[in-house]
Amino acid sequence: MSLLSIEGVTQRFGGLTAVDSVSCAIAPGTISAIIGPNGAGKTTLFNLISGFQKPVAGRIVFDGHDITGMAPHRIAARGLVRTFQLVQLFPDLTAAQNVEAGCHLRGSGGLWAALARTASARRELADAAATARELLAFVGLQARADLPATALTYGQQRLLEVARALAAAPRLLLLDEPAAGLNALETDHLARTLDAIVARGVTVLLIEHDMSLVMRVASRIVVLDFGRRIAEGTPEEVQRDPAVLEAYLGGVDLAAGGGSAHA
Amino acid sequence: MTSPATTSPPSGRARLAPALLWAAGAALVAYAFVAGGYLVTVLGFAALYAIFVTGLNFFMGYTGQVSFGQNAFAAIGGYTSAVLTTAYNWPVFAAMPLGIGAAALLALAIGYPTLRLRGHYLAMATLALGMIVQEIAVQWDRVTMGYTGIAAIPPLGAFGRELPNERAQLAALLAALALAVWVASRLKHSRLGHALAAIAGSEDAARALGIDVARYKLIAFVVAAVYAAFAGSMFAHFVGFVSPEVFGLHMVVLGFTMLYVGGIGTVYGPLVGALIISLLPETFRGFKEFQDLAYGAALIVILIYAPKGLASLARLWTRRGAAPDAAAAATAGTSRGDAGAAR
Amino acid sequence: MPETTFLIQTLVSGVGTGFIYGLIGIGFCVIYNASGIVNFAQGVFVMLGGMITHALLTRAGLPLPLAALVAVVAVALIGVVIERAVVRPLWRRNATMFVMILATLAAQIVIERLTLLAAGDQPKTLPGFSDAAPLRIGGIAIGVQLLWIAGVSLLLVGALALFFARTRTGRAMRACAINREAAALMGIPVARMLGFSFALSAGLGAVAGILITPTQYTAFNVGVPFAISGFIAAILGGFGSALGAFAGGIMLGVAQALAIVLFGAGFKNVAALSILLLFLLARPAGLFGKAH
Repeated sequence: MSLLSIEGVTQRFGGLTAVDSVSCAIAPGTISAIIGPNGAGKTTLFNLISGFQKPVAGRIVFDGHDITGMAPHRIAARGLVRTFQLVQLFPDLTAAQNVEAGCHLRGSGGLWAALARTASARRELADAAATARELLAFVGLQARADLPATALTYGQQRLLEVARALAAAPRLLLLDEPAAGLNALETDHLARTLDAIVARGVTVLLIEHDMSLVMRVASRIVVLDFGRRIAEGTPEEVQRDPAVLEAYLGGVDLAAGGGSAHA
Repeated sequence: MTSPATTSPPSGRARLAPALLWAAGAALVAYAFVAGGYLVTVLGFAALYAIFVTGLNFFMGYTGQVSFGQNAFAAIGGYTSAVLTTAYNWPVFAAMPLGIGAAALLALAIGYPTLRLRGHYLAMATLALGMIVQEIAVQWDRVTMGYTGIAAIPPLGAFGRELPNERAQLAALLAALALAVWVASRLKHSRLGHALAAIAGSEDAARALGIDVARYKLIAFVVAAVYAAFAGSMFAHFVGFVSPEVFGLHMVVLGFTMLYVGGIGTVYGPLVGALIISLLPETFRGFKEFQDLAYGAALIVILIYAPKGLASLARLWTRRGAAPDAAAAATAGTSRGDAGAAR
Repeated sequence: MPETTFLIQTLVSGVGTGFIYGLIGIGFCVIYNASGIVNFAQGVFVMLGGMITHALLTRAGLPLPLAALVAVVAVALIGVVIERAVVRPLWRRNATMFVMILATLAAQIVIERLTLLAAGDQPKTLPGFSDAAPLRIGGIAIGVQLLWIAGVSLLLVGALALFFARTRTGRAMRACAINREAAALMGIPVARMLGFSFALSAGLGAVAGILITPTQYTAFNVGVPFAISGFIAAILGGFGSALGAFAGGIMLGVAQALAIVLFGAGFKNVAALSILLLFLLARPAGLFGKAH
């Protein structure tokens, strides 16, 4: 059974159909990717899945529950967590505090627990701090834990956002262009991190322009163009698909990597 | 390259400044208790405003939201205390919780519809709220005595005994302030506080991490209203007099100036700001029009040149590296993104 | 039927006040569209329009039309000063929305207090623009000033519509409203548009203040209530649509007039806030916008 299934989802802005009746299914325990030229509707699709926008038609089912049009924080609470194309860190906090704030869903204490500082509230705080250290180490940022988030390099900020998303204990992690702005070394590190994330039991769906990364980590690829799904399959299948070659500016060799046609 | 100095353990020089500040504050309070007189009144005002500003800081500093109507909640606290203790002979400690409860309910009613929307709706709704409560205080003169105000409000006390003198009143105010700061600090360093900090940092990211943004904003708004009502009620009993003018827009501007002078978002900033502004000699004597003018102008200058408060200026002075302000930090992601892509 | 007459009379004066709220609401929209800023100093323009005209009339002895014209230009310049001194430094730094609101509100208070020092706290009024007898239709009297308000407001709204549709600057401002980054890429001087929007918005506020003063009064502290009413008008209109704000202003004016009949004058602002809250609950996108 698929973890996430998208059924005929459509979104329009004024006269423009940004996502046009797209369907696809994400199997648990895999890395899948959504690719496509700029303006193909990838981020809009992410916004629809994560509840930041409501589709005008179609259904989104996560883990057997219809989550179409549900509020983002409720979707996150069900285990579907996203990151953003432009990094959205909490700039006034340190790296560790960013991840601790991300641990919200792991706890339950409210106003009274905070005031009384109950045993469970203290434990939650300690657990959040421990989780933060563990996740920062997991993405390789343990040495940066106490720096302000804004003092990190761009690549480190991207990784911090991934660590923070993991703090929300997702079962499905949506990553919006995690490799954008990373150098080759950082991208390589990201690829290994993605594999490690799946090994933790988290399913990953990413939007990515970096074809070498996509071909390396993704087991299934969905190709969007002008809001429509034009292809879906394994990396090999997608690379041979004539519609895909057509969409990518008359056939840049995807296997050659780089993805520079759209960078 | 950004220097890691901003969060590394403070150097001796940096640790000395707060220690000196605390020592000076303590000395001042001790001197007031010995000498009595005008200084006791000034410190009392400072403590009242510090409570008020701590609430403001909770909503604005910790949560990154804006309210211009905190004077409305202070007025509700102050008038409830004033009316119940003078016209109905209620004891102070029965009137005070009622005023605070009323303010909390009103905050719920105003916050629920507006906090789901973009920030400027709340800003304007709260600004209007402040004016409306003031207008009601003027118009409903059967209860509020209109412009004249309510005088002879009994001082703080419990179990039928009033605190004997101003020094005892000040001690009570300082205890209340300690409680207020302690609560704020507890709330800040909790799961709730983390959620508020997340909302202040990025509402979208907070949502994506499962934080119910509207609910937490509402909690922060109600907490801030409780602080304001508490301060308003204490004001009524400390000064013995309330009038519509006391809780005017003046109060809000003064509060904001204190918040920015002391440093927004910090636990002790409101204390520092309230103390400094209260000690400036003209603050609580005459010439209201010059005061508001000065505070408004000072506020603009601080917002433009020292957005984190005077504390950030001090940091600029003691350290070579400029402390990045919140706005610059917020845009840093984008600009670094460009730099990264160019590599 | 004296009640009916009274009711209609009330509605007519409500529409008149509504035109004024509409003009102020448009002022909010002009700046918001050009910059995404909600200018909380909008009320000072209304207050200064009336106060400066009064000063020129009584102290400098200028004739009313000239005094009004000079006042509008002066207030437009003050708008530019606020933009340069307060808004632009913060805008450059990408300051958060609430810092911008706080700074413009502080500017409002500074100007209010300067006016108090310069002109005192006594309310002032202006003579009517012409002293013809009120127009009588049935039992209803329509004051001539009301006709002035209606005429000038409608003329201004028409002129603005033409300005945004036909002129280069107007189109550039609309482009900024749709997408500031794209507008900047197209070579539109976005920063200059910001200054221009403040001038335009301040001028509109000044006209509103001059028009309304003969029917009531002006004083150093009338700005904030006017700003709140104008803001509510802008929200009712969907925040951003100038015509919507104008319609919203008329609706608010009528609703307030009815509230005064029902509950007395003391509660007209209470009524306005209630309308605002009800609207925010029911239709946050305004009268004409699509609710989410």
